[in-house]
Parts: sequence; C-alpha cells; structure tokens
Amino acid sequence: MRRAAAAVVVFLATFVALGFLAVPVLAIFTRVSPGRLVAQLGNPVVTDALAVSAKTTLAAQALVLAFGTPAAWMLASRRFRGRSLLVTLVELPLVLPPAVAGLGLLAAFGRTGLLHTSFPFTQTAVVLAVAFVASPLYVRAAIAAFEGVDENVVAASRTLGAGPVRTFFRVVLPLAAGGLGAGGALAFARGLGEFGATIMFAGSLRGVTQTLPLAVYAEFDVNFDVALAVSALLVLISAALLVTLKWLPSASTSRFRFATSS
Amino acid sequence: MIRIATINATLTIFAAASLTNVFPSIDPAQTYSFAGSNSLAAQIRQGAPADIFASANTSIPQQLYADGLVEKPVVFTRNALILIVPRSNPAHIHSVYDLRRSGIKLVVAAPGVPVGDYTRVVLHNLGLDDALQNVVSNESDVREVLAKVALGEADAGFVYTTDARTVKGRVATIGIRWSAQPIVQYAIAVVSASPNKAVARAWVKRLLRKPAQAKLLEAGFLRIK
Repeated sequence: MRRAAAAVVVFLATFVALGFLAVPVLAIFTRVSPGRLVAQLGNPVVTDALAVSAKTTLAAQALVLAFGTPAAWMLASRRFRGRSLLVTLVELPLVLPPAVAGLGLLAAFGRTGLLHTSFPFTQTAVVLAVAFVASPLYVRAAIAAFEGVDENVVAASRTLGAGPVRTFFRVVLPLAAGGLGAGGALAFARGLGEFGATIMFAGSLRGVTQTLPLAVYAEFDVNFDVALAVSALLVLISAALLVTLKWLPSASTSRFRFATSS
Repeated sequence: MIRIATINATLTIFAAASLTNVFPSIDPAQTYSFAGSNSLAAQIRQGAPADIFASANTSIPQQLYADGLVEKPVVFTRNALILIVPRSNPAHIHSVYDLRRSGIKLVVAAPGVPVGDYTRVVLHNLGLDDALQNVVSNESDVREVLAKVALGEADAGFVYTTDARTVKGRVATIGIRWSAQPIVQYAIAVVSASPNKAVARAWVKRLLRKPAQAKLLEAGFLRIK
C-alpha cells in the first residue's frame, strides 16, 4: 500500500516536472499556425538576425575551441598550486547572471573601461559576449574529456617515440573527441541563445548586432508573430543540436556523458 | 483563513521609463514597473496585472482604449527632447548638426518606443534623416539610451530633458529648437481588468491635481497645455 502510494507520488512528480518543462516550449508552436510561422521566417528582421547569429556564434565557437582546448588540456594534465582556483574562475561565467557578464565586459572592454577598446556596439562585441558565456561549458567538458584519457596510452605513445605534439594530436585528441564534441555542441547552443550580456555590451542593431534572441525581445511588442517565429526557430535549432549530441557515436567513448536517448 | 487583500491594496502602476524618478517621488507607496511604454502595453495585452498604465505618448493608450483594455486615457504631463553627449564628449559634438558626421556612435530608442519615434521626428524636422545611419543601437527604452551615453560608450543619444537631469554631471546637453520638437504628451489610463479600479481612478485624479503636478514641473516636465 505504502509502496503503491510512493509510486503514485513519483509518477505525479515526474508528470509535473516534464509537463512544466515541455509545455512552454510546445506552447510557442500553438500560438501561431505553422503556415504563418514559416511565412514569418522570410521576414527581413528574421533573416538579418539569423545571419548575425550564424556569423557571431560561429566566430565565437572558433575562439572557444582555439583557446579553450589548450587551456583545458593544461588544466587537465598538470597539477599545480592554484589549479582549482583557475578551474573555478573558468566555470564562473556559467553561473554568473548575464547582466553581470555584460557589465563586466563593458567595464573591461568599454571605451571608458579598463582596456579602452572600441568594441561596444560592434559585431566583435557580440562575439566576445557569446564566447564569454559559452566557453565555460566547453572548457569544463574538455577538462573532463582530457582527464578521461588513459595516462598509460599517452605514456605508451611517448615511449614508442611520438613527440608530445604528435601524441596530443594522434592519441589524446581522438580519445577525447567525444567529450570535446559534446562540450562544443553545448557551448554552441548556449552561445546561440545568449541575450543579456549581448544587449548590454553590444546593443541591438538590425543586421549588425541584433542576434536571434535580441530579435525576439525587440519584436515582442512590435510584431508578436515574428517574435514567435524566431522563438520557434531557436527551439528547433537547439533541439537539433541536442539530438545530434546524443546520436554522436563518439560521445559515448569519453567519460563525459549525457543521458542516452534510448 | 485566507484574507483577500482588497483593503489598502497597493496599486501596480505600469509607467514609461522616463517616469522612473518622478512617480515614486509623487507617491512612494505604490508598486511600479518602469519600461518602454510599448513593452508595457504588450505586457498588458498579455494579461499583466497592472492597475494603471502611464505612457510617454497618447497613441499607445489610445490603441489599448480602442481595444477595450484600458479606460479612457487622459493627458497628465508633457515633455521635450534633448540631445545628450558624455561629459568628456569624445566625438566633439556641439550641435545637433554634428550628428551627420560619419563615425559617430549615436544611440537611440527603437521605433515603436515613444522616445524612439519622437527622435525620428526631431531628426526629420531638422533635416537630419541621414544621421540615422550613425545609429549603433536601438534601445528598448529611454533609460537604456541614457545609460549608454552617461557611461561614455555612446557618443550621443536623444532622451527627454527630464532624463538628462537625473544624471547631471555625467552628460552635457544640447538643446533642440522648439520648432523641431514633436508634441510629447503623456497619457494615463486605468486598466480595464484591474480589480482596484476605484482606487486607481482616484490615483489618476490625484495625479492631475496641484501637488502632483508641482512635482512633475519640479522634475522638468512641462505643464499641460
């Protein structure tokens, strides 16, 4: 009797949790008919935002991979004083409110900031904001992936005469690829959705700094249908990224895992 | 027993961002939500629980009135636009006509935001439509424009004269001649779905009386014609 009651409670809690997460996402698609949704996707506001988002998110992703991979390798393979402090520092943007990130970027890169750059209101600012909030997701996953690589295999490669660079590219990287890919995909998805830091640091100008999430915000009170269409587009892209992640065959070879879909 | 808080209910007042400082000074006891009037109108359309809506123009509340979402709006104050530059004036802007120079970082409010629409009217009246090519960001309300200029990140921005007064010392102002000024009238209305309509109507009435009007004038708002 008690066990049955517990089962009912668990079932109900699960139902509420899943419903709570799924309903808002699905509701986006119920507010406007699919035909109108598709029609809105041809709206210049949407195509401009899509172009800005694609360009800035890809550029940010390139930066994240280029700088994040060596950093993660260093943090994973060396043990030194202050290492955990550095790891915490890397993870901090993950939990930081985006508005705080935006303010920090202004304080650092603003014209009146520490480094006196002229980045604000440019696409560079969008790229930096996206890289800032998205990189922790990649670096964290990459550290875990590198730590999961069997040290004996690395040692064997070195004993057999491969240099450290060759060993890194031919042994470590392929073994960590699943985790790196998963982290990269997550960082990309987070970057695509970046809003708060961008609007504070880069502003919002159609065709220049107005990314898809900024377009949702801008169109919310101008043309609700457009806001819905962009939102639907973002849901679909994000879902596609997550699905790809779970189907990625190599994702299961690393220690860094997500729940499998089957 | 649950008591329903209808007695002494504080009003939820949705008000244009430019009223951020003056409304709480007139009546600190109410709950305020300040944003671009168009955002607030969109929220009211989506069923946000506002009792009163104060807009920086007359057209948005008029539209809500036509759709039955608010009661008949009344004009309660006026304002004017001004050009602001950071105190350091990095782009050396000394007249509105300097806005035509290329490379200037001009920040304005987006079209649809009242101050964004007024800004475009001013530029048009001055024959400065091409200055819009220098816009580097369309902000969601006047206070965002103010912040970006006061911070020194933007070279110039259009705000209400009342906004410029709230950051004295951080921005320099450049006046706009009266003949180029748009008619900036603020309208207020009680929200039809409000459960506190009687209290809300009394509040609006009080806003039109002398003490409240004096506070508005003190903050730099203009007398209703």
